[in-house]
Amino acid sequence: MLSFGAGLTPEFPSPAGNSHIDEVFTEEAAVRPPVGHALHVTPLAQEGELVAQGAAVACLRHAPDVCFTAPLAGRVARITLLPGRKLSEIVLFREPGDAVERHDTGRASTPAGLRRLMQGAGLWPWLRRRPFGGMPAHGETPAAILVMATDTRPFAPDPRHTLQGREEDFARGLRALAQLTEGPVILCQQGGAPLVDPGAGGDRLRIVTRGARHPQGSTGICVHQLFPAGLEVPVWDIHAEDTAALGALLATGVLPMTRLVQIAGSALREARTLRTHPGADLRQLTQRIAAPGPHVLMSGSPLDGHTAQWLAPRHRQVTVLPREIAGRKPHWLVAALTQSASPKPAIPTAGLNQAFGAVLPAVPFIRALSAGDDETAMKLGVLSLLEEDVALADYVLSAPGQLTSTLRAMLERIRSEFAA
Amino acid sequence: MIRGLWNRETVALMLLAAYLPLALFWLWLGGSEALGRLGLSVLVVAIWHLVFMLVRAQPPSLAALTTALAVAMLAPEDLGVLRMVLGITFGVVMGELVFGGWGRNVVNPATVTLSFLGFGFPAFAWPAFDDPTAWAAIPAALIGVATGTMPAPVLAGAVLVGAAAAAGGILPEPVLFAAGIALVLLVADPVTCAATTLGRWINGALYAALVALFATGWAGAAPVQIAVAAALLTSLAAPLLDEAALALWIANRRRRHGRT
Repeated sequence: MLSFGAGLTPEFPSPAGNSHIDEVFTEEAAVRPPVGHALHVTPLAQEGELVAQGAAVACLRHAPDVCFTAPLAGRVARITLLPGRKLSEIVLFREPGDAVERHDTGRASTPAGLRRLMQGAGLWPWLRRRPFGGMPAHGETPAAILVMATDTRPFAPDPRHTLQGREEDFARGLRALAQLTEGPVILCQQGGAPLVDPGAGGDRLRIVTRGARHPQGSTGICVHQLFPAGLEVPVWDIHAEDTAALGALLATGVLPMTRLVQIAGSALREARTLRTHPGADLRQLTQRIAAPGPHVLMSGSPLDGHTAQWLAPRHRQVTVLPREIAGRKPHWLVAALTQSASPKPAIPTAGLNQAFGAVLPAVPFIRALSAGDDETAMKLGVLSLLEEDVALADYVLSAPGQLTSTLRAMLERIRSEFAA
Repeated sequence: MIRGLWNRETVALMLLAAYLPLALFWLWLGGSEALGRLGLSVLVVAIWHLVFMLVRAQPPSLAALTTALAVAMLAPEDLGVLRMVLGITFGVVMGELVFGGWGRNVVNPATVTLSFLGFGFPAFAWPAFDDPTAWAAIPAALIGVATGTMPAPVLAGAVLVGAAAAAGGILPEPVLFAAGIALVLLVADPVTCAATTLGRWINGALYAALVALFATGWAGAAPVQIAVAAALLTSLAAPLLDEAALALWIANRRRRHGRT
């Protein structure tokens, strides 16, 4: 860890892949709410009904403008709602034919019209707000928007790659995003030529070059450094590819559903890069390339992914890991020596500091987190961070999920305390 | 789930690896007597860790060995078994275990033990170190910094101020040697030194400055006594340094962004 330049480069085993990029629509797909959020919805389609690609299948109950749309043309197979009509998943079966929903872009030149279009076309769930995470509220105005054209997570697909040939859409998307906020639109990218001509993206566009080590391309770390979020200062972020999709939507009225997804992990025979849609069936995507033997499918990177059957709305990575086989219970003395009184305290090391990109005092922050000291944590910038930003620290400390869940609990506590 | 490397016991092992050159030279030059002291310290510290595991379900840590090494190396000589046991018991229990074990303590248990022994039994002579042992502190610090387990700013701050003081002629060689050994064993402890980068620089500098102050103004003090006293005062000041560094960091951010 004797390195200059913030961040780490954690290495995970994964087989090599070929450079060929297929476009895959899976036979089944699911519409799901953003990770970790239960939303009250009204289904707009019946089970068994045929829907076009991009057609709304559900909308928020208290904000009917915000729709969830079908990622592919097909038949609604199953609508699963949790108690309180919270959306669990809406499963679609693909049907032959390429019916595509076309949206009216006539009024998208005004901020209200653009908002309406984004909400109706199903682009809204691809946005995320900080503090607290999740989809932005229906009428919220952000203080700044970060466009993430860098992703330093292990195995993440290169956003520069995804934007090739879509520069015009991307610039149009950036200009549209600038209509949603009074503040800056900040484009975070890797070194090299600017992804967009600075003049083409609107006058409030700021282009920021980030380092190649994780977590320098992590959204929360960028937000923390460039434009910290606060209780009254919401900051949105959107992936560069989704920005290009917004540009294409404005130009054609059709929202492109495919995105570049990288499949990697040690339980594969070969890695794969492909274009697929949100809610894709991970079993089908990995069926031919998984190595024999038990494995787990995760949506997201090895650091912050979660076990899933469907590709989560904002995820661009699939990780396939061997399933850990539960061993025998250890002897009670061994268990006492190793497992009693967990969680164990974090010992400050250089690695821990780098796991936060050296942008915040890592040790006081972790101490504030584990002690539940909301005020100090807020001063140190907890409102800019989400689970995925502390996942690397969790990995470094060899305590999977510990900081992540502590952070989530703290954010929920802050939200409920300050909402009152 | 996949997990990384740097849990508590890995850090303790890396610290042990860093102390290895120091320990080997000291054992080699000290012979069986040194071995006996180390054995006694390890035994007493280990017993207290076991007691806390059984009574309080507090997992023991390999950091017990680093504590034992520091105590065995720096404790006054010819104390006898009973006084050693008493001192180590006080230091390890009150300095570390009652707080919840290594990682939650606020002062280094070895520093507490040594201060207790120094204040409690002032009639006993403090040890002196041969040159090779003192020089072995340098590889110890290098290994610690290379593995990231010892705070580099603390060491750098101390070396900077110490070099200035030595160049000014206020640090005699024995004090320099003792201060170097205490620096790696007691002050450059990742848990109890300051936690912010700025705080760590000041922490190291403060230690060296205190050593220089005691070396010039404390008549009749032994070199190790000076180093231990400076280490104790520095570790008590560490939270204050952190608080100041954090306030500065937050004020800087507030100026730049208008909020934190």
